[in-house]
Amino acid sequence: MNGTLHLAFEKADTGATVLHLRRQEPPWRVIRAFAGPSGEALVHLNNVSGGVLSGDQLELRVTLSAGSRAQITTTGATRIYRQAAGAREAHSTAHFELAENSLLELLPDAMIPYAGSAFAQTNTVNLAAGAALFWWEYLTPGREASGEVFRYDQLRMETEIRAGGAPIAIERAFLNPRLRPLESVARLGECRHLATLYVCRAGEPPATWSRLEAQLNSIAAGLMEAQDGVRWGVSPLIRDGVVVRGMAPAGPALVGGLRQFWQAARLLLTGESASLPRKIY
Amino acid sequence: MTPGSGSGYLALLQLADSALPIGASAHSFGLETLTAGGELTVARLEEFFRAWLEEAGALEASWCLRAAEIEGAAQWIQLNKAIGATKPARESRDASAVLGRRFLDLACALTEDPDLFRMAAAPCEVHLAAAFGRAGRALQVSARTAAAAYLHQSLAGLISACQRLLPLGQRQASALLWNLKPAILSAVEGPLAYCFLPALEIGSMRHPGLPTRLFVS
Repeated sequence: MNGTLHLAFEKADTGATVLHLRRQEPPWRVIRAFAGPSGEALVHLNNVSGGVLSGDQLELRVTLSAGSRAQITTTGATRIYRQAAGAREAHSTAHFELAENSLLELLPDAMIPYAGSAFAQTNTVNLAAGAALFWWEYLTPGREASGEVFRYDQLRMETEIRAGGAPIAIERAFLNPRLRPLESVARLGECRHLATLYVCRAGEPPATWSRLEAQLNSIAAGLMEAQDGVRWGVSPLIRDGVVVRGMAPAGPALVGGLRQFWQAARLLLTGESASLPRKIY
Repeated sequence: MTPGSGSGYLALLQLADSALPIGASAHSFGLETLTAGGELTVARLEEFFRAWLEEAGALEASWCLRAAEIEGAAQWIQLNKAIGATKPARESRDASAVLGRRFLDLACALTEDPDLFRMAAAPCEVHLAAAFGRAGRALQVSARTAAAAYLHQSLAGLISACQRLLPLGQRQASALLWNLKPAILSAVEGPLAYCFLPALEIGSMRHPGLPTRLFVS
């Protein structure tokens, strides 16, 4: 299935952000936007297929006008289904364009690659001056309850975040559990779950990132002391941001950790409390 | 030095020596955290370095190759910015930039190559893989040979760090480096330039918090 979703967020005269659905094709489905407590528009991305099917070619485009605010989440985990014989690799492209002083929180649920699945995703983010991004991602090893651990064929994940026209974070990962064992000490070791949080704002002075790094490191130390086997790392990007990366033998520790990091970063960077997307947890 | 001859190859051997005075021996690039936590042991070293070569090795080799083929300072700056953005852990990123700058300055002084001086004057951080690839071009050795030499140097440096961190003897270390040479060549020849080493990246991010540290990174 080939489908494109184009969401445009604009700041209205009232100060609230409104959503314009520029294009919506199956399997994408967005019902409406909800007003968030900080003036942001909350949107739930829904895939009516129930997941990414073999051979799907999906495109997501999100634009935020100057000063607008959006929080985007999913209605559930992104399930990557088994690749059909002879089908091309399922592919998802997402592009986020953030105009001056806009703010995007991208808080999807976990990705679950099923046994035999093959999936590629390409994500790009462009931040104009003052634009802020809070983005987490969480990758599971598969359907663990069914005994499916690292039984997918392959995942390719490419991400590039640019601020002021230059890259500040580039990730290009290729996971093929059979060719490149994920249990390697250099990769995931004894862990199975992986999470990443990016916190960025174009033009923010380095001192802000130093303060945030110290605060997030303190949270990381507490989380690692409380739970065996969990690893968290925090580092400033080359400029304009911080990355938090975590891995753990089980998922709940990472989900809880991501929320703590995000809430602390949101408060320090914007002076506002973070609000979890309204949905059933 | 006359480039393009056997002397170019001898010059490459010197630049690829892990004892080159640029300070590489002060860096573990996150290994110290993994050994301190007990995840990385002598028994797992070969498997660890095979993964390292498949991921970081292939990516760094691709930058070496790219650095050898680009034209002009603008592309050079763009390449080095991209390399910096690809390294999420500050300590490893800074180490790459510090070593890259020292390496390029030394290569300029030794070769007196005008192209290397132009690259050194460009207003950007210089990462080690890019500097090495460019120096290989100045010496007129093939880009793949230079990339393989760069990986050999990097791997030798990491194994040397492990000798100081783990009960790894000299003969074991030599055997390790010897056995991994085919993997070095595969990393240079490999079509994929992707990198997935979260444990090592997190190790590098956590390194500043270790209570006792032998290494800068």
